[in-house]
Amino acid sequence: MRLNYFKIFFWLLVVLLTATSCEKVINVQLKDTEKKYVIEGIITNNGRAKVIITQTGNVSDPLVFNGVTNASVTITPTGMATQTLQATSAGIYEANFLVPAERNYTLQVSIGGQQFSASCYMPSQVPVDTVFTTTEQFIGDPQILPNILYLDPVKPGNAYKQALWVNGVKIRQIYISNDEYSNGRQCNDRLYIIPDEDEDNSTIPVIKPGDTLTIEMNCIDPVIYKYWFSLQRSALGSNEQATPANPVSNIQGGALGYFSAHTIETITYKVPR
Amino acid sequence: MACFISIILPAQHKFTLSGTVKARASGETIIGATIKAGNEGTTTNEYGFFSITLPAGKYKITYGALGFLVFEEELNLDASVTRQIFLDGKNVNLENVVINSSTSTRRSISNPQMGVEKLTTSEIKNIPVLFGEKDILKTIQLLPGVKSAGEGNSGFFVRGGSGDQNLILLDEAPVYNASHLLGFFSTFNSDAIKDMALYKGGMPAQYGGRLSSVLDIKMNDGNNQEHQASGGIGLISSKLNVEGPIKKGKASYLLTGRRTYADQFLRLAKDSAIKNNTVYFYDLNTKINYEIDKKNRLYLSGYFGKDVLKLGNIFGINWGNATGTLRWNHVFNDKLFSNTSLIFSNYNYQINIKAGADDFTITSKIEDWNIKNEYQWYANNKNTVRFGINAIHHTITPGNVTAKDTSGSINNSNLQNRYSFENAAYISNYWRASKKINLTYGMRLTAFSILGGGNFFNYNADGDVTDTIKTQLNSIVKTWINAEPRISLSYIINPQVSVKAAYVRNVQNLHLLSNSTSSSPTDKWVASTNVIKLEISDQVSVGYYRDFAEGNYELTVETYYKNMLNQIDYRDGANIYINSDAIESQLLFGKGRAYGIEWLLKKKSGNVTGWISYTLAKTEKKINGINNNKWYNARQDRTHDIAIVASWQVSPTWNLSANWIFYTGDAVTFPAGKYKVEDFTVFYYTERNGYRMPAYHRLDIGATKILKQRKKFTSELNFSIYNAYARENAYAINFRENKTNPEITDAVRFSLFKLVPSISYNFKF
Repeated sequence: MRLNYFKIFFWLLVVLLTATSCEKVINVQLKDTEKKYVIEGIITNNGRAKVIITQTGNVSDPLVFNGVTNASVTITPTGMATQTLQATSAGIYEANFLVPAERNYTLQVSIGGQQFSASCYMPSQVPVDTVFTTTEQFIGDPQILPNILYLDPVKPGNAYKQALWVNGVKIRQIYISNDEYSNGRQCNDRLYIIPDEDEDNSTIPVIKPGDTLTIEMNCIDPVIYKYWFSLQRSALGSNEQATPANPVSNIQGGALGYFSAHTIETITYKVPR
Repeated sequence: MACFISIILPAQHKFTLSGTVKARASGETIIGATIKAGNEGTTTNEYGFFSITLPAGKYKITYGALGFLVFEEELNLDASVTRQIFLDGKNVNLENVVINSSTSTRRSISNPQMGVEKLTTSEIKNIPVLFGEKDILKTIQLLPGVKSAGEGNSGFFVRGGSGDQNLILLDEAPVYNASHLLGFFSTFNSDAIKDMALYKGGMPAQYGGRLSSVLDIKMNDGNNQEHQASGGIGLISSKLNVEGPIKKGKASYLLTGRRTYADQFLRLAKDSAIKNNTVYFYDLNTKINYEIDKKNRLYLSGYFGKDVLKLGNIFGINWGNATGTLRWNHVFNDKLFSNTSLIFSNYNYQINIKAGADDFTITSKIEDWNIKNEYQWYANNKNTVRFGINAIHHTITPGNVTAKDTSGSINNSNLQNRYSFENAAYISNYWRASKKINLTYGMRLTAFSILGGGNFFNYNADGDVTDTIKTQLNSIVKTWINAEPRISLSYIINPQVSVKAAYVRNVQNLHLLSNSTSSSPTDKWVASTNVIKLEISDQVSVGYYRDFAEGNYELTVETYYKNMLNQIDYRDGANIYINSDAIESQLLFGKGRAYGIEWLLKKKSGNVTGWISYTLAKTEKKINGINNNKWYNARQDRTHDIAIVASWQVSPTWNLSANWIFYTGDAVTFPAGKYKVEDFTVFYYTERNGYRMPAYHRLDIGATKILKQRKKFTSELNFSIYNAYARENAYAINFRENKTNPEITDAVRFSLFKLVPSISYNFKF
């Protein structure tokens, strides 16, 4: 986690403030703006490429999936043949092909004459050594938290992203880390679950002995680390950590979103009773 | 030229009346006491010293000061004299409380100094505040041109400047983080404070280094007549002040401490999430002074404060300031006063983390060594010259990471220390040019040298490092030289009305980087580098001053325009905690402008006292890379800002007070659209600060009852209610998914304090 301690610190400030605060849903009049394309492109070393193309909606309207259908989407691994992704449903474009790590990938998207492109480097895979749980008295009641151990490569510039499911329910939290303060070390990333402020009506799962945890580990390009870092700080609707702004995207041409080429490893772990 | 001729050709014999004005009960010197001799007059300086040169003759001399009875004496001036004047406090004898207007309480119509606000602790005593904790920084926010940084916050913005553009001095030592506990309390324990002056414009030449204001706070010296203890017990903290003579009339000490029990208080909060944690702070103010003889006096003062915040055993942070000032006042003769100060200031924080294999500490600090040598030369009746030199050595340690366990997951890492040397020389003259016109003009010449040791970098437009400049320790990397002219003028239309105008240039060498929108102890001070240029501001201001009803009411109207260069903002996705010395890669630079008009109507005497202040203002920024490179409203841009402050002395033992505050909501950034990434609702932004928070207003009320007032013991009880009509002011508005239908976005308003009662008990013996 390392740097995310600052995130936890800011979150603590917010808890301290909101402990004495009251909250109320209010009506805010927002100006509507023209729609923008959103491209979410992922290519993983298990040979899967998936690009989702949608458009932004007004804040006051329900956020429904509005896939963009008339796009042409290609991915070119450096030194290899260009692959065209096929529309599998509205706004979703997919392909399966050989995807080696330690290589640069270029995404090209064309929508009605508008061109968008992005390039991303897929780093080498860093295997997860161990998954285990610890019990921490962090905030409120003691919590069972998953930990991941892995050996960061000697070469600096590695970044990681994890995802966590508890009994198949995804924890909606962004887990990212990098080797800025831990290059070449045996790293211990602990996946904190920040509880709901409203404990009684919480929909956030609490890990119990016997639960099945699924952890996905991605090795990501530092550019993508920056995307997620800026997204979680400034684009999720609050202004406590930083002035609201769009995430720093690697897509050229004026679309929102990102294109990430990353490795994937999935581990299933049963919490001991 | 007239002034210089008058030196050479004295019309008749002139003699000098000089000396010190002190409070009789405590022996404390009085700052800003007025001395009047016929049409001539002067005021005491920050050490209570005065000097006035008059033609030989008989005079009725009047000495006055806020909170003191006026003292008059007949003087036959046929030789230069040195006087030690003792003034009696107004409440020395309750039956004889003088509530008549006193000349000493007026702000000066004739002095060209404008944009200045002065408060003494007796003036803020009855103003109701959050948790009943008297606070100088919160009280000045009720003055025009000074804006609060947020609900209950001690941070403030002056005339469109940002928080780090305020120079906050405690006995001349800069205080780098003037707040406790996330900004809800200031580091200034009002029990230890003697006097405070805030300069919003036309800063005198002896001050420099910040763009928008100077807040000069002076600590009490300590009673040199008798031992005395006072204290208070409140909801949030308890305070104790002990002072007394070391050698009666010659030397005294002062010791003031404050400790909060906010941690206990927070346990009462509904959220169980904050139990098992520690939150507290303490302050210690100490001072000793020794009057060696009539011409020499030494002062040694210190401040130590610390905040501690602990989250179980996993996360801990502590931070604090330490300052020390050693001063030597020397009176060369009845016209030349000097002061030499050696000043130390340190701000540091330490973060401790222990979580699995992550077991480490992060430390960071800024430390100053500062020497000042100043002279005040009361040349003649028409000219008072002030000149001096100042040298400051800054050391900034941006962040050192130390792993407790070398086999853990953290590498030790030290960001380069940054060193700089700030030198200044200044001279200014207060010239009473004619009966109608007074002028203060001067120049501050500053040389800011970036000292070597470590690497400096050049960057391309995207903020990527293009080359590295290696430097030797203590070598001079670059020196910025700036001339800061200052001029202000007053034109007296009649004894009740004057107009003033001022121009000032200020330069700032140290800049505060803050990732968050609220202040945090981990905000980072950086000195100017080869890339971070000195911030420069030019401010012009014009004012109108009028006294009504025999000086019972005073009206001040001031308008200003301020232009700011080399302002700093952050790139999107900036991280100021990167483990790299190339901090500039996270920054963007641009300019700012601020203008406004401020009204202040003050009633300073009678049973009902108080003021009404109204500010109409605009503050904008233009930073390349933000808001499509167009001008946008700064966060602290508030169109209207109103404060009404009233205090009613109902009877000798009862005082009622109230204040009402209204201001336009801050400029904020709200989303223009939304979309899904993974399964998160992400917001799309098109413009910076294009929206407004809802307007803010609240009423605070307070009552003070004196329980006992005897010569040996006084005690009082103080009640207050913050936000008495429970207005739900927006502290933040966040956008988030609706709990039952995540497709829908809720705008959620967070409000902090409403209807917060408090009670405190104060005593003195």
